[in-house]
Amino acid sequence: MMIASMQGVVKRYGSQLVLDYIDLDIQEGEIIGLLGPNGAGKTTLIQTLTGITAFERGKVELFGQTENPFSNQNKEKIGLVTQEITVFEELTAKENLQFFAGVYGLKGEEKKKRVAEALEFVGLADKGGKMPTKFSGGMKRRLNIACALTHRPKLLIMDEPTVGIDPQSRNYILEAVKKLRDSGTTILYTTHYMEEVQSIATRVVIMDQGQIIKEGTVNELIQTVQHEEKVKMDVTDPESVPIHSLEKIAGVKKVIVSGSQITVISAVHSGNLDRIISIVKEYAGVLGIQADKPNLEDVFLTLTGKHLRDKGGE
Amino acid sequence: MTIFKFALKRSFSNTTNIIFLTLFPIACIFLPNGEEWPFLPYGYQYFGLLILFVGIRLATIILEDREKGVVKRLAVAPISHFQYLSQNLLAYSIILILQCIIVVYGGVLLGKELYQPGWLFILYGSFSFASLAIALAWISIYRNKDASFLVYMSLIFIIVVLGGLLIPIEIFPDLLKRVAVIFPTYWLAEGLKWIVFSEEILDFLLINGVLWLYTIVFVIVGSIRKIN
Ligand SMILES: Nc1ncnc2c1ncn2[C@@H]1O[C@H](COP(=O)(O)OP(=O)(O)OP(=O)(O)O)[C@@H](O)[C@H]1O
Ligand SMILES: [Mg+2]
Repeated sequence: MMIASMQGVVKRYGSQLVLDYIDLDIQEGEIIGLLGPNGAGKTTLIQTLTGITAFERGKVELFGQTENPFSNQNKEKIGLVTQEITVFEELTAKENLQFFAGVYGLKGEEKKKRVAEALEFVGLADKGGKMPTKFSGGMKRRLNIACALTHRPKLLIMDEPTVGIDPQSRNYILEAVKKLRDSGTTILYTTHYMEEVQSIATRVVIMDQGQIIKEGTVNELIQTVQHEEKVKMDVTDPESVPIHSLEKIAGVKKVIVSGSQITVISAVHSGNLDRIISIVKEYAGVLGIQADKPNLEDVFLTLTGKHLRDKGGE
Repeated sequence: MTIFKFALKRSFSNTTNIIFLTLFPIACIFLPNGEEWPFLPYGYQYFGLLILFVGIRLATIILEDREKGVVKRLAVAPISHFQYLSQNLLAYSIILILQCIIVVYGGVLLGKELYQPGWLFILYGSFSFASLAIALAWISIYRNKDASFLVYMSLIFIIVVLGGLLIPIEIFPDLLKRVAVIFPTYWLAEGLKWIVFSEEILDFLLINGVLWLYTIVFVIVGSIRKIN
């Protein structure tokens, strides 16, 4: 079932084109990893998809409705984790959750239960009575997530939920996302961290300069971009290894010797790693092997010419 | 009514607000009488100033929601901007009205000469709404609450002086006297005079009418939804 879709959505800030004919479909049960460098338009995409900002062209469809996609009925099914931490600093963690639960129409015992559940879910069960001002960055982030959960959304949109936090909180959040996925929540997840997308996304959408430039599963993306596999070996006596016999192995494209290192580049999926190693071993001692699989970062770099994260940023 | 409930809660969530909302109005009751001016005890003349401060303190909560980005969350929640705004304003209005009750009827209990406490309460009420409305419109042009508050404080001092609330308007030069009518504080000061010298009831209605006009205009200006 289609949960949400955008068709030809165009959005400008002043004269700057921020969303350039965006087409995106989100199916039930998917976890979409939305990737893009700073300023790509990810947050803007999210804000138009949820009706926070108006757009000038195109259509947004939510839960099968195009006429009035942002009806209260639809809004109840959506949870938004904002990129900034948007909680009340003068209210305790628990009161924050009570507020948002109340805004989503929860009452009485049910509200109580959902609030406790959300606190528990993000690992703040014993911190409910504390002010967020007393929280660490990671705890604030977790509260920020919990605020979008009390009403049990069908579609959860998370805009960089793990930015700038400690690895422990980050793992906690990723595990929570997996739990949500397992309970059937559809998730749109924006991040700068490749490893997160690689570990949770069922589909990856890459954005740059207001356009979706590529989408597919992690493996599909890696395959479309990378046609080569690399094996690097540290050997004791590189001169004695007959390069020409390595070059004759099926699939091998190139053999490079530099210092004590031999690098063999093959066509993707040639499955010749064993043969390469055994030949090298006949003539020299192998000290270390490194088989570089291309990752999403390489895909991203190839597509946009940019690193996903500004160096030194965050 | 979640928004309403939390608006009340948040109003009392910091010490500055608690002092503004409870201690100051009580202090107003105990200020002494003036010799020739003001006609009502000092606390009752200056209560207008307090109402202006309280108005901006309360409206700033709405600005904070925008500054912090909480409005984005509310924009995706099944609740309209009208509900959000009206529940907030209702909470603030109740707080302001309670203050007016404390000041006026606390004074009555203590035997202060307030001439016509009922009308005085109504006058303060009208001025409270105008104050809240102006503050609401004011914060809508800001993105930063500290800047908004600082500039507004200075503005308040100018309008309480020029409106004739801090010093009698009679000593102003003619030009300033004529300009004064554009300030809501002028109408409050006129109203306070009316309470003491009670002339035509029509005059009193006119005074309150002007304050309500301010309220309506500024509420409209201030209720346009802003997200960023
Ligand atoms: N309210 C706004 N007014 C004007 N320009 C804006 C506004 N919001 C965003 N932009 C511009 O739109 C572009 C896309 O911004 P957006 O926040 O959607 O990017 P992003 O992909 O979320 O980036 P980041 O990774 O930094 O969060 C940027 O160039 C930004 O400067
Ligand atoms: Mg963003």
